[in-house]
Formats: sequence, C-alpha cells, structure tokens
Amino acid sequence: MIELLRLCGFGAQEIESELPRIEKAFGRLGITAEDIERGKQRLNKYYDIELKGVRKVFRLLMWEVIESVMARDDGKTKIVNGFMAPGTSIIGCALMSKSKEVFSAHHGWAFMPIVGCIFGKIVPVLEAAEKKWLKAGAVSHCSNVKTYVGMTALNMIPKPDLLMSSGFLCETAPKTLDLLHELYDISVFNCFTCQDREFGEYLDGSKRAINLAATSTRSLTERIREVVGFEITDDMLWEALNAKKKLDDAIRKLRDLIANSDPLPIGPAHENLLFCVNNLTMSIDRMPVAVDAINTLYEELQERVDKGIGVVEKGAPRVLCILPPGGTDPILEHLASEVGIAMVATDNRFLLPDVIESEDPYVVMSLHLLSSMANSPSKRIPLIIDVCKELNVVGVFDRYHVGCRTVAGDAMMIKKAVEKELGIPVLLLEWENFDPRTYNHEEFRRRLEVFKMMMIKKSA
Amino acid sequence: VGYSILEILKEKYQKESKVIMAQKIANKNKGGNAMEEKRLATHLRDRPAQLEEAKKNGIKIIGYFPGNYVPEEIIYASGSVPLCLIHGGSSGPADAALSVVPHIICPFARAQIGERLLKKTPYYNMLDMFVAPITCQHLKKVAEVWEFYGDLKIFKLGIPQLSSGFVLEYYSDRLRALKDRLQAFTGNEITNEKIGEAIDLYNKMRELLKKISLIRRSSPSQISALDFIKLNHASFYADPAFMVDVLDSIYSKLKARQPPAQTNAPRILLIGPNLGYGDYRVLEIVKEAGGEIVTEEICEGIRYYWNNIENTGDLFQSLTRGYLVDRVPCAFMRDSARKRLDFALKLVKEFNASGIIWYELLCCETYDSESYYFAEKMGERNIPMLILESDYSIADTGQLRTRIEAFIEIVKGGNV
Repeated sequence: MIELLRLCGFGAQEIESELPRIEKAFGRLGITAEDIERGKQRLNKYYDIELKGVRKVFRLLMWEVIESVMARDDGKTKIVNGFMAPGTSIIGCALMSKSKEVFSAHHGWAFMPIVGCIFGKIVPVLEAAEKKWLKAGAVSHCSNVKTYVGMTALNMIPKPDLLMSSGFLCETAPKTLDLLHELYDISVFNCFTCQDREFGEYLDGSKRAINLAATSTRSLTERIREVVGFEITDDMLWEALNAKKKLDDAIRKLRDLIANSDPLPIGPAHENLLFCVNNLTMSIDRMPVAVDAINTLYEELQERVDKGIGVVEKGAPRVLCILPPGGTDPILEHLASEVGIAMVATDNRFLLPDVIESEDPYVVMSLHLLSSMANSPSKRIPLIIDVCKELNVVGVFDRYHVGCRTVAGDAMMIKKAVEKELGIPVLLLEWENFDPRTYNHEEFRRRLEVFKMMMIKKSA
Repeated sequence: VGYSILEILKEKYQKESKVIMAQKIANKNKGGNAMEEKRLATHLRDRPAQLEEAKKNGIKIIGYFPGNYVPEEIIYASGSVPLCLIHGGSSGPADAALSVVPHIICPFARAQIGERLLKKTPYYNMLDMFVAPITCQHLKKVAEVWEFYGDLKIFKLGIPQLSSGFVLEYYSDRLRALKDRLQAFTGNEITNEKIGEAIDLYNKMRELLKKISLIRRSSPSQISALDFIKLNHASFYADPAFMVDVLDSIYSKLKARQPPAQTNAPRILLIGPNLGYGDYRVLEIVKEAGGEIVTEEICEGIRYYWNNIENTGDLFQSLTRGYLVDRVPCAFMRDSARKRLDFALKLVKEFNASGIIWYELLCCETYDSESYYFAEKMGERNIPMLILESDYSIADTGQLRTRIEAFIEIVKGGNV
C-alpha cells in the first residue's frame, strides 16, 4: 500500500497520517492486497510514473476518490454529486470553497482512472449496473453511466443529497437519474439544453442552446440552495471560473507541447489523466495544487523534448484521435505506442471558433457546447478537418464509443469526409471507452499495424 | 352412459354453434367496413401520384418524424402537405443505412435513412423540406445525416425534454420560428385563422381515433389491434380531411356492429418506443397465439389521440400545451418513468388488460432502461409482462413466436 501511494505522489508524512483513512476507503471499494500489487504493476507498465508531474496528477485523482467514499465519515453534512454534467464542477468548486460541510464530486473522472486504470477492477462495477437497468448486450448502454449506477448499487459511495446530470449529449444519463430517483429515492436534477442548432444558423443556434443551458443551470443552483442552505452567487462562480481558468490554461499549454513535438514525449494514456483532472471538482484552495501538477509535467516533458526523448520513434505517423482515450483502461493507447503510432491529440479539446463572450457565469459554464463532440457533423467534421491540417497529422483514429449514439453516430461521416478532403486514412474502431471487456488485443493490434502501414505508404 | 353422451353431444353442438355464430358476425362486421377499407386503400395507392401532382402545382411536401412532437397543424396551415415518415419493420432499409451510421442507431431511425437511399418508397424522396424533432439521439442523427449530406432542407425543432417551467416558452418560440421558416419557404402567410382551422381538422381526427380506441374496451374488441394500428398509420400519409371522413364512417359502423362472440383471448396492453408502418410481426404473432392486443402506449407510430388541442387564445401556447404538457411523455423525456407507469396502469384498468407486452427496438436505450422499472413495478402488482426487442430481422421470428405463445399461455392460466 505504502509503495502504491508513493507511486501516486503521496509524501511520507501524508501517508503516515492518512493511511488508516485510505485503508478504510479502499476497504469500501473492495480493493484487496492483490489489487494493490496489480495496481503497482499497471502504474509502472502503462504510465510514465517516474515523472513527478504524473505522480502529482494521480495524487489529485486518488484524493477525490478517497474523499468521495469518506465524505460522511469526514463530517460532510451535504453531498452534491454530478455525473455526465459538464460545467457543473464549477458549481461544486464554489460550494466546497464556501462551506467545509459540503462535498461535491463528479465521481467518474477520478473513480474510473483509479479503480479502472490502476487497479483493473471496473468490470465488477459495470456488472452491478448490468444487473439493474443498464443491461449488457447489443443495446450498448454507456459504461460511463453504468459506472455511477454500479457504484451506487455496490454502496461504494454515500447516498448524495442531490445528484445532478445533464442531457447535453444523451438521454441515458437523465433516464438513469430518473430511475435512481424512482428506485433509490435519490433527489435529482437534470440540466439540459436542446441540440437543435442548424448548419445555416449556427451562431444564433449556439447562442440559443447555450442560453437555454445557462437558464437550466441557474435553476440548478436554486435547487442546490434549497439543499445546502446558502446561495451560490455569481461572484462565487466567477471566483471558481477564474481559478479553473488557470488550470485550463496550464493543460492547454501542456497539450500543445505534446501535440507539436516529434517524437511524442509521453504516451497517449496520459491524455486521459489530463481529461480527468480537467473535470475534477476541486475547491479553489486545491486548484493551485492541480496547476502545479500540470506545470511540473510540462517542465519534465519540455526537458524530454529538448533532449529528443520520446515514447515512439521520431517520425512515427502522427494521428488525431476522435474522442477521449479509454477511461477505465489505458491498454489501447499503450498498444498504439507499442505499434509505433503517435497519437498526438484528441478532437474533444478543440472548440469551434465562433466565440461567445458573456458577463454571465452560467453562459461561460455552458460554453462546452461549442466543443467538437457537442456539435452536429455539419460543424464537427469541418472542425476535425481544420485540426488535422493544423497538427499536420497523417491519419485519424476514431475509436468510437459504442455506448454513445451522439458521437458514434458520426463515425462513418467523419471517415468519408476526412478521406475525401485530406486524402489521409481514417481507422474506425468500435469499442467502449469505459468497458475494458470490449478490448480485443489481437484484432486491435493487427488493425493498428495495417493502419500504420497505410499512413506510411500514403505519406511516402 | 346414454345421458353422458347426450350431454357431450349437446356441449359439442353448442360449441360449434358459437363458432358458426362468431364467424357469421365477423363476416357481417367485415362487410360493414369493407367499403371504407377499399376507399382508404385506393386513396393510399393513389396518394403518391396525387402528391407529385400537387408538387407540380407548387404545393410543398413537408416531412416530419413521428413521436407527436411536431404540430402538423402549423405545416397544414402553411398550405403544405404534412407527411409523417413512418415506414419501418423491414430489415432492408435499416441494413442499407449501415453504410452511413453504425448499428447502434435504432432500426427505425436507420430505416428512415435507408428508405431515402433505396428510393423505393415514394414518400421519402418527394419531400421539399423536413421538420426534425430533436427528441432522442437516434432521430436526431437521421436529421444530422440528411443535413450533412445536404440533400434535404432541414428545420430542427428542439424538443425540451421537460414539460413544465421555463422550457415551455422555448418550445413556443421554436414553433413560431417554424412558422416563420414555413412562411418564407412556401410564400404563404400562416394566419391564426388557418392554424385554427388546422387544429379543428386534426382535433376531429384525434377525437375519432380516440372513440374507435375506446370501443376496444369491450371484450372481445370490435376492431383488431392490427386494423386499428393500420388506420392510425394511414392517418400519417392520407389527406387529413379524407382521413377524418373515413374514420367517421368506420366509427359509425363499429358503433352499429353486433358485439362479437365471447372468446377467452387474454387482453394485452402493448407498450414500446416505436411501431413503424409495416412493423406488424408482433401484432400478428400475438393474434395467432390466441391473444388480443386491446390498446397501445407507443411513442412513435401511434398518433397521440388522448388529448385535443385547445383552439382559443394564443394558439402557439395551445399547441405547446397540447404537444408538450397535456400528454404522456415518451421515455426520452425527463422524469417520465413514473408518469408513463401511471398511464400504463390506467390503461390496464380501463381496457381490462391482463398482461403487458413491451416491444422495444434494439439500441433504444431509454425504453430499454425503463423496461426494468416497468417489469419491477408490474411484478409488484402481479401483472405479467413480456419484454421483446427487435432489430427488424426476420431471423428471430421463431424465437418471438415461442416467447409470445408461452406468455399468452401464462396469462391465460393466471399468475404462476
């Protein structure tokens, strides 16, 4: 355990003082000594754990998991959780910064990399959800959503006083909230918007969608006020947004360094860590810790770049990936590096260029609706093509998340358009971003190898 | 011994008499509606040609998807022809769409893409514009595909997934935007009078469908589920005024009918996300297995007829109330599970149903999730429920038949 915690960036003193609490939390999560051994092996195998920055990121993720599990034991009187609710981590930040009695988390983003990526134990959680309403099989329910239901069914986390989600991208999360309310008596709130932007009126449509989301989020804070007993003011949200902006900027700078370096200075499995840290719910006090972790990693990678050190050889085919990496297992990204493909970036970090400025924090919190995956193909695909040109990639790897109709539904259109417009190969690979059971090593290896050959041949 | 033989013969004679009598009534009843059936069949046969002719005369054909979130009244008031695309049930078009979207898009949504690719069903390729209700991700994806490939003008009608609060204004505004778009597209002014006339017309249609539906409360029903659903489907393609006339006539004849002879067919409530034009396999198997579907709670494919639209005051607010508030929400809507359960229980009681068949399309994630909840809640009430799913493939017909037959036996035999 101690070695594992060291690998995850915990200091000796911290380990000594927190060990009983961490052991208690691990006990509730069903993490055994055997799992800890496996965790150490996986950390060493899949991650550049010798980098201080990576360890610091893991520490942040680990803390959110422990605090989530132990929230009631820690004396938190109100718990406001979120899942599949982009933007609401800012509200959580404001809540925790205002009151030490309130806890807020967006569990999946810490829980999945820790329980899934490190310990390789996400499958029992998914199976618990599959025994409920998110059954396994051809229906292809989203395993991100399954994770929350599984955690609830297995009593891994305390029952929240309010659970919030959104339908920005799907109906599965809101439907699950509906059933969590009906079957587990959990108070719930859905933020939402309408995905009715048309190609011909994109900017007006975006303003309409964002304003609707903002209004909906404003009613969420009204509801939260009833739960926690104090108001969430616009000033509180601006403070949280400003603190978060520093983290956003640090992550953007780091991603730019990775995307523009040859050889690739760090494996693509780490992109998931950046994605998760970016979505953690942290108090304003903790935000500088996260910024420090990212900046540390930046400095370490800059050093690698200066020395020409990479995880794949210089000149390896550069690809843009569609969607975030595996959320519960880094194995596919690890395989891509083994095969010698440089996955330089994912499309989800890029925003459409039409900038909407506002003095309203709720509008700013809703700007994620400008991201690639929140848009219809008529806007999303031109964005992807622009990013391909900007990053000078020679291929696109769309490992589409089969549990998500929104993003997976675009896969074939992306392939046709990118191949036609840029003449570079696009590999479509169907899998579940959050379910390691869909990983098929031999099949995926062969397909990546052929993909690599195609890119080399095309570029020659 | 002699007495017993007499009793047996008497019983046999009575049974045969009942069968003959039932047959006679059925034939007579059938004859009563045959003329209307023929009128409707002829109309539907000629409808594509009529619409092509109308197009030549400058009338626009405006398509939309089922689910009852697109007020046809606004389209009708623009002087255009509203045409609800409702074909489904066949694997050909659904499979053809796999070149454009992956298999996790539901077969009905894929069938819509496939129909336009295959160009075999005339309605699909005669559209001038399409109003896409942004309901679930499946139908949204169809609209996005058509928008991306740019071969059809699209108006995306955002459906707020709540039916109360600030979202109502959003929906009303989108309906007004639809009105503006249609005015600009057709060059025809959409006045309140025209919308009012359209509401009146469609209210009559809903009213008649409701009356016919309520006739099915009697046991056995005067009209089979298949016939009722076919009528309902016809109403999406037929001229609405003509359809009202046909429905009126059918209703009058059904009212005048002699009640059919009693049967012991279990009365079944059918629940599901979608029943396309041609997706009749489950209905047929249930009938063949000796069951009787007496009412349906289907989101897409059955015109929502339980409520009418108020034709006074601000008509856009009336439409908002009618299409969003005063109705049972589909499963993709927020907080819908309990409301839909309550409505299903009401139907069970009102139609004296003794079992439920839950028929969902593969990959429909909201209905699939809800099936768990419904099964649990129906189980608590000892109402048997069978969950079926389909991807329109005929390969599972045998399996469906076995499961439905076993279910009908269970319902007949009472609770196990």
